[in-house]
Formats: sequence, structure tokens, C-alpha cells
Amino acid sequence: APPVMAQAPIVIKMQTSWPASDIWMEFARQYVERVERMSGGRLKFELMPAGTVVGAFQVLDGVNDGVIDAAHTVPVYWYGKHKAASLFGTGPVFGGSATTMLGWFHQGGGKDLYRELTQDIMGLNLYGFYGFPMPAQPFGWFKNPVASVNDVNGLKYRTVGLAADLMQNMGMSVAQLPGGEIVPAMERGVIDAFEFNNPSSDIRFGSQDVAKNYMLSSYHQASESFEFLFNKDVFDDLPDDLQAILEYGVEAASTANTASAMDNYSSDLQKLQTEHGVTVHRTPKEILDAQLKAWDQIIPTLEADAFMKKVLDSQRQWVERVVYYELMNSADLALAYEHYFPGKLNLGK
Amino acid sequence: MLRYIAFADDLSAWFGKVFAWGILIMAFGVGYEVVARYLFRAPTPWAFDLSYILYGTLFMMAGAYTLSRDGHVRGDFIYRLWKPRTQARLELVLYFIFFFPGITALVFSGWKYAERSWRYLEVSSNSPAGVPIFQFKTVIVAAGILLFLQGVAQVFRCILCIKTGEWPKTAEDVEELEKVLLQTKSLDALKSEDEGILPPRELAAGREPRDRDAQ
Amino acid sequence: MTDAHIAVGMLLILILTIFLGFPVAFTLMALGVGFGYYAYFDAARMWRAYDRALDSGGDAFTLAETWIGGFFNNRIFDLFVNQTYSVIQNDVLTAIPLFLFMGYIVERANIVDRLFSTLYSVTRRLPGSMAVAALVTCTLFATATGIVGAVVTLMGLLALPAMLKARYDVRYATGVICAGGTLGILIPPSILLIVYAATSGISVVRMYAAALLPGLALAGLYLTYVVVRAILQPQLAPRPTKEEVGDHTPAQLVWMMLTSFAPLAFLILAVLGAILFGLATPSEAAAIGALGGLALAAAYRALTWRRLKESVYLTARTTAMVCWLFVGSATFASVFAYLGGQQLISDFVTGLDMSPLMFLIMAQIIIFILGWPLEWTEIIVIFIPIFIPLLPHFGIDPLFFGILVAINLQTAFLSPPMAMSAYYLKGVSPSHVKLTDIFRGMMPYMLIVILCMVVIYLFPDIVYMLPDLLYGGQR
Ligand code: NA
Ligand code: NA
Repeated sequence: APPVMAQAPIVIKMQTSWPASDIWMEFARQYVERVERMSGGRLKFELMPAGTVVGAFQVLDGVNDGVIDAAHTVPVYWYGKHKAASLFGTGPVFGGSATTMLGWFHQGGGKDLYRELTQDIMGLNLYGFYGFPMPAQPFGWFKNPVASVNDVNGLKYRTVGLAADLMQNMGMSVAQLPGGEIVPAMERGVIDAFEFNNPSSDIRFGSQDVAKNYMLSSYHQASESFEFLFNKDVFDDLPDDLQAILEYGVEAASTANTASAMDNYSSDLQKLQTEHGVTVHRTPKEILDAQLKAWDQIIPTLEADAFMKKVLDSQRQWVERVVYYELMNSADLALAYEHYFPGKLNLGK
Repeated sequence: MLRYIAFADDLSAWFGKVFAWGILIMAFGVGYEVVARYLFRAPTPWAFDLSYILYGTLFMMAGAYTLSRDGHVRGDFIYRLWKPRTQARLELVLYFIFFFPGITALVFSGWKYAERSWRYLEVSSNSPAGVPIFQFKTVIVAAGILLFLQGVAQVFRCILCIKTGEWPKTAEDVEELEKVLLQTKSLDALKSEDEGILPPRELAAGREPRDRDAQ
Repeated sequence: MTDAHIAVGMLLILILTIFLGFPVAFTLMALGVGFGYYAYFDAARMWRAYDRALDSGGDAFTLAETWIGGFFNNRIFDLFVNQTYSVIQNDVLTAIPLFLFMGYIVERANIVDRLFSTLYSVTRRLPGSMAVAALVTCTLFATATGIVGAVVTLMGLLALPAMLKARYDVRYATGVICAGGTLGILIPPSILLIVYAATSGISVVRMYAAALLPGLALAGLYLTYVVVRAILQPQLAPRPTKEEVGDHTPAQLVWMMLTSFAPLAFLILAVLGAILFGLATPSEAAAIGALGGLALAAAYRALTWRRLKESVYLTARTTAMVCWLFVGSATFASVFAYLGGQQLISDFVTGLDMSPLMFLIMAQIIIFILGWPLEWTEIIVIFIPIFIPLLPHFGIDPLFFGILVAINLQTAFLSPPMAMSAYYLKGVSPSHVKLTDIFRGMMPYMLIVILCMVVIYLFPDIVYMLPDLLYGGQR
């Protein structure tokens, strides 16, 4: 390719899968700012919210076709094209956190499997990078607090992706609703509960207006990361150093996003409690147990596909070794927290 | 030319009418969802996908049928004052500027889009039911092809009208109630219990004011 | 000339070709793709494969293929199909065919004559009783079917001869039919409101809750007008003689109401109630309504195979008419915004230094004027998206704006030169009824519409009361 050394910056059109008001738009902006500065102004981004060019669920097609150059999304949004996509973030939880699974992506063979899926199996014309290990997504918003598996049995619940399989296995009725109808549907009783994403996104979404019980901790989407997609032609045409900046910029933004998430998610959680009268609960162990049992039902069906089995084997292998070390080694942080801030935690049983 | 027009009209109507029956499946399917949710507390994992797939298929596949019956909205408050020949001349030109390029683009880009979806045998990500959507994306191509074929028939209509000074007859078909009533000026059309509300034969000739307010 | 000016040119060409009478959906599509080709023209990207082939010394065939292929490698084609797909999987618009189907089934259910004669017998002691009965029939029937032309022509054949025979004034009698039939596009479940919701991103449910009281208020104003005129000028609406009304015992009247008014009212209330009280989404309620319509038609022994078939086919055609407009406008609007047309208009309007009230009045006047030559479908799908982004600047709630638009567009059916209600009525009425009489008869209702808009502006609670009550205050 002819080296592009013109004065004018190369413009990358990046669309996200988030509405303009969502905090994840700001997370995407952190990536953009870093990359632009690192490139010394040679790269410039046009960052657009979902729907500007293509819909939130269509960014993969958009990048592949080159309608947009890049996307900021999550793989669960395109798992309709291949169910294995859900394993890169929203698959079964064997005990690893999102950080553990991002480690698997970089060091445990995830990257190769991702390449195999997107290039060899699906023949996509794009590259994908992963960053920002997200805090586990809450079990969600409930009209009434739930203490046992019995309480969730028969509830009308809204979620998407593999999580829908999971909740259905637990005896909930999973309703499918477009994003914009969730809040009105709660108001009107079409659904009794729903999960969205994190305290900051949830508060901006208006969840606190329709439910007052916020259940934290869940295995349905506990290890997700952002997916940064780039059109292959656009990426390949860039000089080496700019390619490196785009790729490693993801790693840089990952730290910035994590810090920002800690700050925002926690203060928004506080705001939900103090300003909106939301009661924060920890999901009871009984329900978490039931979730794991539900995953047990789902995993064999996923493993019917040879490639999915390969990915799950690789993840299990990684988790078995790495998380053993993590758990054995980690300091008991709850103990320390309780020591210095006594009586605040309510981790339940 | 008349034979091609008749062929295209029939083809468009056949596809439009076959997929039109989707409305019944839609009403019963979505109705079942509501019943299942309230009586059995068991919502279906497929009704949501089913409803938009049927809606999209129904209206896309009816596009050519609607064109053949001159049912697409026009801002025709000036147009209707012109002589048929003037209408036809202008319309002939506009078909080549405003119809074929866009429809051709729809067919080819739709093809690329659908073909890729077939490669993955794509399913909807709305629910665990895995409702297939690759066939649904193909509807874009099918609708485009039907519209293209119907567009050729409309061009022939224009040419015939320029020659004869009158619009060729459209095929006899079901019409909006107001159109039937305007023609018959009587409520008898509604009275018979086993008959439908077919327009009288003479209505099929020529162009009537369009169903501007059907909503 | 900047890209933004080109975008404005695109809009002007659109308006011009609309007036040439070419089907609007295809004009929108072609302009979107054509101007989009210019907007997304990027030689480096389009001929990237060709450049690569040149660099690597490809053979003549590869060079020719990649060079020609470059012309079709414009992003607009992918944008076009992506936008089309987002219209065909739009979950808000799914309610449209279902409501249309319900409407066509009810329209063919042989119900309107029963309804009118019953209401007429019930209201016979009121001043202007026949006009009152006609208005209520129109309102109820138009609300259930949403098909204005059918209501007006049906009533033109049914109520108008009856009123003329009873020596009603021609203007008085024709006005009430035209205005009453048009109410169906405002009172929920209305397809206009669904289309507005899909265009503006507002929840259909909120839209319905917000439109209900204004719709009833407008119907109430019409009713008041009809009765007051009949009191002030009794010669417009002479009291009926005994033989004209027929003699019914109260029990008979109740039975007549139960078999004509009640089922239709119940159908509407069931559909609306299911939506407003949260039992179902609008599409689900529409499906229930369609099934209810089938049951109703069966009960009236009007559900023949032939009529079912006709309703199915008409549903497909009318849905195609509305939704292909969306297919065209999706790409058009996207390219228009991409070229900066929307921004240019925003900058211009915000630069005018108008107060919110001035802006609101200007916007409504423009929509009112657009309603002379155009139909509500074109106005909402093409022009409303230009107004919506301007609303936040003036602090106007798009929900409130939408209700005003829906009321305003009542006039699109009543205002010459394209007053379809009048043409339909003229088409079925006796020859001595002149078009100018019908126009004159409709004029007071246009004034009432404007009055209604002023009242709603002054008392916005009419709009907000129901949504606030049902869904809590979240403006
Ligand atoms: Na989630
Ligand atoms: Na008009």
C-alpha cells in the first residue's frame, strides 16, 4: 500500500452500540482521546452513538461492509450470527471474573479462537480487540425483593442473549421487549423485573422510577468486556505505528475505563440509595446456586457444536488453573472492609 | 406490452396476496402470546420475532402489488389535473430517474446483505428460541426484484397511455370501501351477506382519485 | 456551495417531485441513494482493491474488474440496505397492519347503519339529534376503523340523505359528517400516533395516553357546537316527526344499544384498556383487537370468506403504502443529516431568536399549510423529523408537540384544495349538494380545531393528566 503521509489526519468513523446518553459513550470517548493524542493528531475519530449509521445490533455488519470503519460494542450483540460469540464475554461462569477472562483472551488462547471464529469460520473482513473487564452485571431490578428460588419462579423478566436461556431454566418467564419499552412495560406490569447493565447506565435509563429493589451479583453476564471492531481493509492500509496505536490503545483505555467505572458505578449506586430510595440487595446464595445449576443445563447444548466445545474447554482449563491461584492468593478484602467500615456491608448468606 | 403488463400485475398480486395472509398468522400468533402470558404465565420465546418478521415480509412483498394497483402515496393535487398523456410523459421520465436506480441498488445491496446472512444461517438474538432471520433478510431482494418487474410494467403503461391518450385498465381487484361506494353511490354493496365488496366492473377502468386517506 | 447547501437542495428537489405526483416512497429512496452516493464518495476507499492490484501488478482482467467494482463500492449501498432492514424489523410499526386489519374487518361488518339508527333513536330529544347521532357514529366508527374515507362515504350514503330528508341545512349536515369522520386519526388507537411515535422515538403507549383526553375534548367541542347551533338556529335542524324516528320502547332502545353501540365500544375500550393499563404492548393489543374484530364480524354474520380475503389484501396494500414511505425516508433522512442539512436548518432556526411560543406557532402553521396539498403520512414521515431535533432547543416536549400535530392534521382532511373528506362526501351525495356548501359546512370545525389547540396549549394538563396518572410524572 502507498504510505499515506499527507498532512490531513486519517479519519476513522467509529459507531458504538450505545445511545448518546449512556456512560459507555464516555468510555468510548476515553479510547478515542488516547488514540488521537498518541498518534500525534495523525488519527482522528468521528465517534457516533448507536443508530447514526446502523442500529446497535448491526455494527458488526457495518464494520464488515465498511459502512463504518470501527465499532465499539459487545459480542453478545451479534451472537445471532454465531452462538459462539456469546462465549466471548457472556458465557458460562466457571469461577473467573471479567479480568480473568480478559486474561484468557490475551494469554490463554482466546485471541486465536476469536480469530478462528471471525476469520476462518465466519469469513469476516475485520479485526476485533478486547478491553475493559466489566464488573459483573446485576441480577437486576425487581418490583419486590426476592429471597429464594421460589420468589423468582414465574416472574416475568426481561433480558437478552444466553442470559435468557439461563433465566428461563430457572423458571422465569423471559419476555422480549425492545429497549425503549422496558420502562413503560415495568410501569404497566407487562414485566415484573429486568436487568440492564450497571448502576450508571441503569440510573440514566430511569430504572429507579419503576422498581425499588436492585439485586446485585449474578452469573448471567459476569465476565464481559468491550469489543473494538475495525474494518480489515481500513486497518491494513494504516502504517505499522498507527496500527499499533489502535490495538494497544485498547489496552490503555481499558485501565481508564476501569477507573471511570469504579468511580461512576459506585457513586451512582450511592445516589440510587440516598436520592431515589432504592434498596440494594445482594442476590441470595440460593439463587446463585440455581443459576449455576441452570448453566449446567445449558452447557451441554452449547457443547453440541464442536467449535463451542473447543472454546469452553479452553476457558475451563484457564479458569481451573488461574482462578485457583487468584482465590487462594487474594486477601480477604471483605474482612478488611468490615474492619475499617464496620456494619456497612450486607453480603447476605 | 399488454401481455407483459398483465403478467407483471398477476405476478405482483400473487406474491402480495400470498404474503398478505401473514396478517392472520400474526394476529393469532401474537394473540396466543398474550393468552399464554396471562393464563399459563408462560410467554413464548418466538412471538416477538414472529410479529416483526411477518410485518416486514407482508409489507415488503406487497410493495409491487401496491404499485400495480397504483396504491403508493403521491402528492397528486397538481398531477390529477393534467391530461393522462401529460401524466404519462412525465411519469415515464421519472421512472428512469427516481425508480429504477434506487430499486436496482436495493436488489444488489440487498443480495450482498442477505447472502452473508445465509452463510451464517443467522438467527435472531432477541431470544433463546433461535428464530431464523436469514430468510427474512432475503425478503429485501425478493421485494426489490418484484418491484423492478412491476416498474417495467408501469413504464409500458406510460408508453401505452402516451400512444392512446388513456391509461390502460388495471386488473379487477378488491378496492377500498369508499372507492366502491363512490362508484355505486349506494349501500347495497354492504348488504349482501355472502358476497364480498367487489367494485363494479366499470371502476376498474381508468384512474380514480387515490385512496388518499386510508390509514 | 457546501454539503449542507446540497442537502437543502436535496430537500427542495424532493418537494418539487412530490408536487409532480410521482410515488413519494420511490422519490425518497432515489434521492437518498443518489445524494448519498455523492456524500459517501471516497475514491481512496472505493478503489482500494484497484490500487492494491496496481501495486502488486495484477493482470488486465483484475484491474478492469476492480476498477469497475470501485464504482459500486460506495458506502451508501450498505447504508441503504441497513436502513431498509431497520425499517422492516421495526417493532413499533408491527402494530400498523394489525390495527388496519381490525379496521377493515369492522368496516365490512355491517354495523354502521344499525349504529346510526340506534343512536338517532336514543338522541331524538336533543336539539340537532340527527347530527348528534351522526357525529357520535362517525367518531366511534372512525376510532375503531381509523379509515376516514370509508366513514365519510358510508355516512354520506346513510346519514346525509336522512338529514336532508328531515330538512336539515345542507352545510350543517355535511360539516358534521366530514369533521366526525376525521376524528379517527386522532383518537387512539390511531395509526397516525403510531407513525409519529416511530418517527420521534416516543413510546406509543405514552402517546396513546396523552392523546385520549385531547381527542375526546375535540369530539366534545364538535358536539357542543352541533347542539348549540341547533338551539340558536332551530331552522338548521328541525325536530323530527314521530314517523321519522319510529316509536321504540325504552327496552327496545336498550336492546338496540346493546347490539350496536356496546360491542363496538367494548372492542375499542378493550384494546385501549389493554394498552393503557399495561396488559399488553400496542402490537399485542392490536392483535387482540383484530381477533375481536373477527369475532364481532362473525356475530353480525358479516364474516364471509370473500370479505375476509378483501380485508387481508387491503391490509397488505395499505401497510405497504405507509411502510414503504419509511423505507424511503430512512435513507433520505440519514443522508440529509450526514450532509449537514439538519444542522443548517437548526442553526438557521435557532439564529432567528424566536421564543418557544413563536416557534411552536410557526411550526404548527407550517404543518397546517403542508396539510393543504399533502397527506398526513407524508407530513409525518418526511417533515416531522426536521422539526423534532429543534424541539429541545425551545424546551418543547416532543410528546406535547405530537399531540398538537395530530390535532392540527385533522385540518388536512378538511382544508381545500385537497380536502379529501369533502370530495368523498361530494362523491356520494345528491347532486344538489355543492362542494362549496360542504367546504362552508366544514369551516367552523377548522376553527374549532384551532380553538382546541389553543386550549391545549393553555392547559397542557389535558395532555399530561392521563400519562402522569398511569405512568407517573416523568416529563
Ligand atoms: Na445485561
Ligand atoms: Na387538505
